[in-house]
Formats: sequence, structure tokens, C-alpha cells
Amino acid sequence: MKASRSILAVLLATSFSSVALAADVVKIAITGPFSGGSAPMGVSMRDGVKLAVFQINQRGGIVVGGKKMKVELVERDDEGKNDRGALIAQEISSMGDISAVIGTVNTGVAVMGDKYYVEKGIVKIITPAAGSASMTQWSKAGVKDLPIFRFASHDGIQAQMVVEKALRLGFTKVAILHDATNYGVSGRDDLIAQINKQGNKLKAVAVEKFAIGDKDMTGQLIKAKAAGAQAILIWGIGPELAAVASGKDKLGFKVPMIGGWTLSMSNFIDTAGASGNGALMPQTFIEDESIARAKPFIQAYHKAYNVSRIPSPVSAAQGYDAALLLAEAIHEAGSTSPAKIKVSLENLKVTVKGAISDWKKPWTKWNPLNVETHEAFRRATTVMGKVQNGHVILANPSEKFVLEGATTN
Amino acid sequence: MDAKYLALAQMAVGGGLMGMAYALVAYGFQLTYAAGKAVNFGQGELVMLGAFAGISLSGIGLPYWATVLGAMVAGAALGWCIERVAVRLALQQRNEGWILLTIIVGLFSLSLVENIWGRDDRPYPTPWPAEALDFFGISVTWPELAIATGALGIMTLVELAKRYTMVGIAVQAVSADPDAAELCGIRSRSAISLSWMVSGVAAAFAGTVIGPVTTVGPTMAAALTLKAFSVAVVAGLDSGFGLVLAGIALGAAENLSGYVLGSGWREAPGLILLILALSLRPQGVFGKKIIRKV
Repeated sequence: MKASRSILAVLLATSFSSVALAADVVKIAITGPFSGGSAPMGVSMRDGVKLAVFQINQRGGIVVGGKKMKVELVERDDEGKNDRGALIAQEISSMGDISAVIGTVNTGVAVMGDKYYVEKGIVKIITPAAGSASMTQWSKAGVKDLPIFRFASHDGIQAQMVVEKALRLGFTKVAILHDATNYGVSGRDDLIAQINKQGNKLKAVAVEKFAIGDKDMTGQLIKAKAAGAQAILIWGIGPELAAVASGKDKLGFKVPMIGGWTLSMSNFIDTAGASGNGALMPQTFIEDESIARAKPFIQAYHKAYNVSRIPSPVSAAQGYDAALLLAEAIHEAGSTSPAKIKVSLENLKVTVKGAISDWKKPWTKWNPLNVETHEAFRRATTVMGKVQNGHVILANPSEKFVLEGATTN
Repeated sequence: MDAKYLALAQMAVGGGLMGMAYALVAYGFQLTYAAGKAVNFGQGELVMLGAFAGISLSGIGLPYWATVLGAMVAGAALGWCIERVAVRLALQQRNEGWILLTIIVGLFSLSLVENIWGRDDRPYPTPWPAEALDFFGISVTWPELAIATGALGIMTLVELAKRYTMVGIAVQAVSADPDAAELCGIRSRSAISLSWMVSGVAAAFAGTVIGPVTTVGPTMAAALTLKAFSVAVVAGLDSGFGLVLAGIALGAAENLSGYVLGSGWREAPGLILLILALSLRPQGVFGKKIIRKV
């Protein structure tokens, strides 16, 4: 009898203590590809978020309703695979105590998995996935109340910049190359739409696709070359982009590659080597310590992860700023409930100073007719980057003011 | 030459050179099949392990040729291990089902590599010049050339050794009739073991010459193995020369159909060729029909 009573006491004590523990933390999930072809983006994003969370916890946590709460992270590797991403979204949305999710690199994963978060009303900040479909799917479905926010320069903006760049360089004929994933196909559509929108001054003389894992792009490039393309507009991820760059070298087809921000991935830059030099892509962040705003973040990242180069600087900085914005929203909501966090993300009162910009009310109330309401980046906050000897630098040094810029929105 | 035909020629040559990689991997299948009538379903993983062995040696600063040699030594050891662990039992039991153990060995090495080196593809450093060579308007890169010459070189060496050395002739005897060979004083077990080692060497060598083209990752050989297997089946499991022709034909056909019909159709002609070849000549296009007298 005595023994059973003491067991009961222990059980009671432990159950109370776990309740007390749970109440003291904010649980945030990070999802993304931490392995596979998209890993540089996933790992950098994750490490950017973790760096922000580490700094927040070091200060004692987030003040929620007058009480300091530490942030606890849950990490899941979706390997960039749509089906795995969907399973993870199901798992996280049914955990019950997750306040918000940050992540997703691959547009297909967002398309397959985000419905589970929407069903349960769990807040998710998509970063760095840029494919248009991950937000337009909700405006097409006419969802009235959306807990999904994006924190990345979406492909609409990027395609606009790529086409602008090609025109500014004086080209009239281009080839569009893209991979066969949701990301590549929607990138192709965005490019064609932009060419149209900017007055059809560019002509897409060849539109060719390739599959994930393809190493030989000679066929696509021969067609582009034969059609007289002066530049290659490209949407894909690191390994295949590198294969295109080396194929271009093989054929002596010396035209510039201009494409999505994935041209800044380390697995493109490293595998392509010298063939990758000169590739142009939109960037929201450049790993350049001479930019005063970026310097503290770059140094902290290098120190925390003992690297001299961030695998995907854009992903890392976006992950970092997204985590800061989320922390501010949780503070302003005064609650860990996803429904309240969603409302405060749409109405952020305080300007958050990040590594990319000063974020002043980046999102507004969701309007299915205008995806921009849940998009944080605009054309004006994105710059052109260029690959040069293993690093991404500003293509146009005069754009530095954008990255130093004071206020966004 | 007309630009259109030049493009087709470029595709065919590029495909044919990659086809030599299929032939080289297929040769590994053939070696073990000839000796013990056993197929190594983990051949692709051996190629991948060879590439990783090479890339690790390159990581500690060895030059390319030394990484190739090192990988070949590792390949011999791995081939011997697989024979010892997974195959010998199958041959003793005279039960083909056991040969599926080679799949398990393959899967095991896949997980091992993922845990040691991670899942990411990485470039294989080589000393080749980056510029492509130009043959009458057709570009050929140095790594492609390395695959072709390497494949031909190693296959010629092994075939010569099989015909003109004592050991080679002994292996051939075991391949023809193990019992009769035993009666002549040849240890068939050692001959089979040797074949697996040579097959491992060929696979690892393949990894080190294919790696610079495809980049090195745990799944680098998955598609390659399937194609090599088709090449081995089409050519017949006892013709080294046939492998090269079948490999070149498959590689060129793939590239040409990808070019003409669109990149989604790359794989189709290979499969059609496989089915056609098997329906017309079940023993393989270059295979010999074996008549067994009882």
C-alpha cells in the first residue's frame, strides 16, 4: 500500500513537472532538405534559424504575456522529396504543441504538404522556397484565412529580374532551360509570362527541360546553340545547373547563364568550378562583410558553424530573419497559440532589424486575390548576384545600398 | 558537314562514350557470371564504393592516378569479401535464391556510405584540362575520353590475361566445367574467388573514371547498374567484345532519342532494344548457344 502510494506520488510529481516544462517553452519546427541535391539551402536555412533561436534563448527567451519562454526546436529532414515532405507536415501538424513552422526549400514539398498546416491552422513561414505555386495554390483555392506566409523573393520577382537583366544586356534571343520539377516548370511559366509582360522584346528560341539527376545536357544545349540563343535563362537546382555549365564549356557555347537564385547554391558553384563564373541570379543577401548590416550575422554564422563560407547565404539569412520575425510575432501575440500568432504576423507593430533589412510590417491580412499580402519580399529588396571564383558577389556594386537599406515596405 | 547532322553526330559520340561506362560496369557482371554462374546485384554499389574510396584518397592529397590505383585495391578486397560472405554459400547450396544476399550487401554498403560520407553528390577532382577536344566539329571532353580508353584498356588486359596466363586459363576451365577442372587439379573455389576480385577491381576502376563525369554520391550508380545489366543481357554474358558494341549502341541510342524525341524519351529505346534483342536471340546478340550433351 505504502509502495503504491509513493509510486502514485512520483507519477503525479513527474506529470506536473512535464506540464510545467511544456508551458515554459515555445515549440517551433524547422523542415527542409538537410540531405540530397537541395541540402545546401536546407542546411543553411536550418542553421540560420538555429542561430537566431540560440541568440534569443541566450537573452532568456521570448517574452510571452510577461513571462520569458525559451524556444525549443523540432527538426525534420524532408530530403527534398514531395511525399516525405507531406508525411512530415502530417506529423508536425498532429503533434499538438507546435506553435509555428519555418522551412521548405522545394516548392513541390509546399504544394504537397502545406494543406495539413492549413487544416489545423498552424502558422508556417515558407523560406527559402521561391516557386510561385506554393502561394498561388491558396489564392486559386480561394482560401479565406491563411496561416502560410512566405519569406523569400518569389519566382514572380525573380523571373522579372532575369528578363530585365537579359534585356539590359542587349539580348534578343534566349533559350529557356528548366528542370522537370514543380519548381522548374513554374519557373519556366513565370519566365514566359514575364517575357510577354515586358513587351516580347526577347524571343525564347528554345525551351528545353531536363530531369533531376541528368548529367549530360549536350542535347538541350546543342538545340539552344543551333537556335542562336545569346543567353540561357535557367530554372533548376545545384547539381543539374552545374551539368549545364560544364556542358556549355564542352560545346564551346560561351553565353551567360541567368536564372533563379539557386545559381548561388554551393553545390552549383563547387561542381561547376570555372565554368560557373559569370552566372547571374537574383539574391536577397550577399555574403560580403563590407555590407555593414550583414556583417554581424555573417560573422556569427561563420563562428557558430566553423565555416568560412555559408553554403547558401540567402537561405541562411532568410532563415535567420524569419525566426526573428516569428519571435516578435509570438511576443506581440502574447501567446503560443498558432491562431493568435497568425494574426500578429499579419499586423506586426515593431520594426524588426534583421540581417537582410529592417522589416516593417512585412505581411498584411491575407487576401486570396492578392498573394502579395503574404509575401514579404518585393522587387526593390532584391539585387542581382554573380558567381565569381567560388563566391557570389554583387553583379552591380552600385546596388549595395539595397542591402544596406533601412526599411522594407 | 551540315549543322543538323553534326548535332546528331555530337549526340551519338557523346552517348557512345558514356555507353563505354555501361560496358565497363557490365564487364563486372560478366566476370563473376562466367566463373561461378553468379550475378552480383550489388555491382553498382561496388562502383560507388570504388568512387568513394578514390575521392577519399584524393581528399588526403594523393594525385589522381594514385587514387585510381588505391580504389582498385579496395575494389579487389571488396570483391573478395562479397564472394566470401554472400556468394560462396549460395554456390555450395546450389541454390540461386541465396544470391539475393548480394542485394543485401549492396543495400548495406549504401547505408554505410550515407552515414560516413553523407547523401550529397560531390565532384571528383581530376588533372584533366577543362577545355574540350575538337574532332571535326565534335566536342569530346577529357573525362569522357578517360572512360572510353580506361574501359577498353582494362577489358583488353583482363581478356589477354584470361587467354595467355596459367591462372586465366584455369579460371576459364572452371567457367566451362568446374567438376572437370577440379579433376585436373584446379581449385575451382580459388578461381571463383579470383574472378570476384577482378570484378571488384573493374567496378572500382569504373567508379574512378565515371565519377568525374557524374559526380560522386551514394546513388550515382543506381541508373548505371540497370543499364549495364541490360547491356550484359543484350550482349550475352560471355562476350567481352559484344559488351563494348552493345554499350556504345545503347548510349548512342539513348542520347539520340533524347535529342530527337525530347529528353523525356531518353530511356525508351534502350528498353525496346533490350526486348527486341531478347526475343530474337535469347542467348544474347553476341552470345554462343551452348548445347549441353547429357
